[in-house]
Amino acid sequence: MTRLKFIFISIISLFLATACHDMPEFADNPKGNFEALWNTLDRHYCFFNEKGIDWNDVYSRYSPMISDKMTPEELFDVCAEMLNELRDGHTNLSSSFNTSYYRKWWSDYPQNFNERIIEEHYFNFNYRQTGNISYGILNQNIGYIRIPSLSYSIGESNLDHILYYLKTCDGLIIDIRDNGGGLLTAVETIVARFITERTLAGYICHKTGPGHDDFSEPYPFFYNPAEEGRIMWGKPVAILTNRSTFSAANNLVSIMRTLPNVKIVGATTGGGSGMPFTSELPNGWAIRFSSAPVLDPLSMTTEFGIEPSEGCAIDLDPQAALNGVDTILEFAINLLSR
Amino acid sequence: MKRLILIHFAILFAFCCRAQSESSLNIDDSNDIVGDSLPILRPVTSAYMLELGASSIADSYLSPITYKGATAAFAYERMQAMKFDPQNWVMQLSARVSVDRTRNIADNATSWRFNGSVSWGMLHRWTILPGLTLAAGASTGIDAGCIYNQRNSNNPASAKFAWTVNASAYLAYNTKIGNLPVTLRYQPEIPLAGIFFSPDYDELYYEIYLGNHSNLIHFAWPGNRFAISNNISADLHFGSTSLRLGYRHYSLSSEANKIVTNIHTHSLIVGISGEWISLSRRQQISRNARIISALY
Repeated sequence: MTRLKFIFISIISLFLATACHDMPEFADNPKGNFEALWNTLDRHYCFFNEKGIDWNDVYSRYSPMISDKMTPEELFDVCAEMLNELRDGHTNLSSSFNTSYYRKWWSDYPQNFNERIIEEHYFNFNYRQTGNISYGILNQNIGYIRIPSLSYSIGESNLDHILYYLKTCDGLIIDIRDNGGGLLTAVETIVARFITERTLAGYICHKTGPGHDDFSEPYPFFYNPAEEGRIMWGKPVAILTNRSTFSAANNLVSIMRTLPNVKIVGATTGGGSGMPFTSELPNGWAIRFSSAPVLDPLSMTTEFGIEPSEGCAIDLDPQAALNGVDTILEFAINLLSR
Repeated sequence: MKRLILIHFAILFAFCCRAQSESSLNIDDSNDIVGDSLPILRPVTSAYMLELGASSIADSYLSPITYKGATAAFAYERMQAMKFDPQNWVMQLSARVSVDRTRNIADNATSWRFNGSVSWGMLHRWTILPGLTLAAGASTGIDAGCIYNQRNSNNPASAKFAWTVNASAYLAYNTKIGNLPVTLRYQPEIPLAGIFFSPDYDELYYEIYLGNHSNLIHFAWPGNRFAISNNISADLHFGSTSLRLGYRHYSLSSEANKIVTNIHTHSLIVGISGEWISLSRRQQISRNARIISALY
């Protein structure tokens, strides 16, 4: 009987053996959701030091605004305002009734782009389009490619057709103004047409813990030229940018500007070099925030934007725009026509 | 070339078939002779099971919120007395594929878990009372899968992989309920050591894709990866086939690179089981063969 007792006790013990590693838990009420938001960013956001943000000070200023009597809309507004302290276009709070955006990274700057001017006055609405890419040949025998987004993969055969069509041009303009980014793999697809050897594309690092200084060593990553048989481009290139050139498009600029024969023309880009993670609050609101910094090939941050090449900074002249002239595009045409 | 014919046999049925085997069917390597004793038949006990139940999943790489929902699995189990000492040693092969669909507490996001596992082990058994068998041993296996959160952007999935050496045991009791033979079994299994995969704290899988493979593989021990499965089953022997009913509890809690994963499932099991013998036409079956079952 003693043996059976031992067996029985062992079985009960095994059933009760469920060790659990702790995860922070927060209540689903205004205070709990606020704490969850602040803690998630405290542990995972990656640009506190670059931006000189005292996150504890932010907590002390915003936490008194939270009360259990708040409506969800009121709580959302306080949380969104707190997130704006991060000055980060990659940081959003999403609920069923609103999504917060920090917009000052572009709204405080001239837009420097009007797509209609180019479509109407430079192409008379007669341009080619494949996928979301528009392209054509300008009167000065300069090729023009408009890439409005990198949210979708770019087909290799599409690029072949585009570059083959433009092969007789003296130069190439890639217009990524108002390009809010998308896939880094799409960046690689584009860059691969402009390099002839394995090229350092930048560095990526990540947080290794919840501390604000817990980062891995930057890891270099390289892009290879497009596979043999693909159409490549070796003539001069001008890339048009504005403040709304952001995220992956900003990353494209950071790589292309290191290549010979490539000039960045227009205005400083919008930055957005932190790869965003997603998390959530107990009430189901989603949070997106910068978590893994990507550095340029010089190992420098581009979170605050990339300036145009020397002597290539230019704004869109509003008066000229009224007459159908894009002064940024004109500058690039002249640059490539020299 | 050796031709094997797999025929489904229950033990009682195997006895009945002996006369027939003499003329038409022969037994292959299951028809062992140990020393000068009687030839030994080692039937394979196999079971196919469906598991349905409740699941609770938390993975801090994806979300700090615990998701709850349902789990479903298909499992296969194969046991056989071992050739070198069939009376005292049994082998066990287990395989399972499972899927979990869970929702967050706000019920506005879904997380899926896809998992597959396979393990093989050896257990020593002791008959501690008539009909009551205790077995203990070790197994090794692979557990792989991922947890996928539909609404996450650059961190949509958390991949899971572990190779572990496990402590395994079972307590089986052959009895009757009325006239129905029943085998009751309780089997726990706990991984003791091994290796497992985890990305770094906030590392993107894109960075791993770019080639940064540092700090991904970790030594596993119960302090950083504790897992336990508890299986309770009753095999109701209806002739040559048995109905298996049971309950399975699985719990996993791991922490690596400050990423915490907690998974708990509770499932009801329904399946069929039976004993099978591999027969070959070349070898003669012995009329006096002794049958040593792995479980029944």
